[in-house]
Amino acid sequence: MADPSLKTKWSRHSAWADILTASPSDAARPCGVNVVAREGLGVAGIQAQRGRKAALSALVKMRYGLELPTTPRAVRDAAHAFVWAGPGQWLLVAEQKESFAELSELAAVSDQSDGRAALRLSGPNVRDMLAKGCMIDLHPAAFPSGAAAMTSIAHIGVHLWRVDEQPYDRPAIFDILVARSMAASFWSWASASAAEYN
Amino acid sequence: MRLPCPHCGTRDVQEFTYLGDANVKRPGADEMSEAAMTRYVYERDNPAGRQREYWHHSSGCHAWIVVTRDTRTHRIESAEPAKPLVQS
Ligand SMILES: [Zn+2]
Repeated sequence: MADPSLKTKWSRHSAWADILTASPSDAARPCGVNVVAREGLGVAGIQAQRGRKAALSALVKMRYGLELPTTPRAVRDAAHAFVWAGPGQWLLVAEQKESFAELSELAAVSDQSDGRAALRLSGPNVRDMLAKGCMIDLHPAAFPSGAAAMTSIAHIGVHLWRVDEQPYDRPAIFDILVARSMAASFWSWASASAAEYN
Repeated sequence: MRLPCPHCGTRDVQEFTYLGDANVKRPGADEMSEAAMTRYVYERDNPAGRQREYWHHSSGCHAWIVVTRDTRTHRIESAEPAKPLVQS
């Protein structure tokens, strides 16, 4: 518990502060790639304890009403996403910061809320832009709705997944997380890669 | 070259880190000797052909896998988790 007598000047600072700047809106000329910073998320790394995967799965089902994915997929509702993060591991992304203590009975839980920087990418050219740095095929035939992947873009580790339920021929929407310390580097790549579409 | 990660699917080799021969075994306490440790640490067969080797999916799922590969052609025969998942 923090000592209330201690005064501090520390305050929460967005991972994208001084990196992302709002672009002037131009309704007459729609953008090829749209970027939204995802702020204020609760993020936790979840690793099932040995032999407790089934129990963890049942707890998640009961507490969040979601099925823990066992393949590279993201399972979501309006408030939470469980994203596959390797065998027996997940990333829990909550729209609001919250306690993850309940899960620590059955899993190693590490709060990453201030350790990750998140963007939501959409628009008709989002796949063209990502293809400039992403080594995996994001075509809907290979990366359908709900698909998730851990990979690297421009030598930066990324966790990305599709958040849309768009029909096959409509542009997809991606959530993408990078380590907070890499946010500026990632943005340097992303803004240059998107420039020709905007 | 691309490697079929048993967890993630086929990925570019840039995502992986190579460790080498997956058949070497650290000598047990009863067979420990300077010569046995030298063999274990330094001596590798370097076959022209089929080899079982460890790769780490370091930019992906962070799992160790065992890939059976032809060192002449890079043809991949199989890829399996290095540590069979004991968790259920
Ligand atoms: Zn993998």
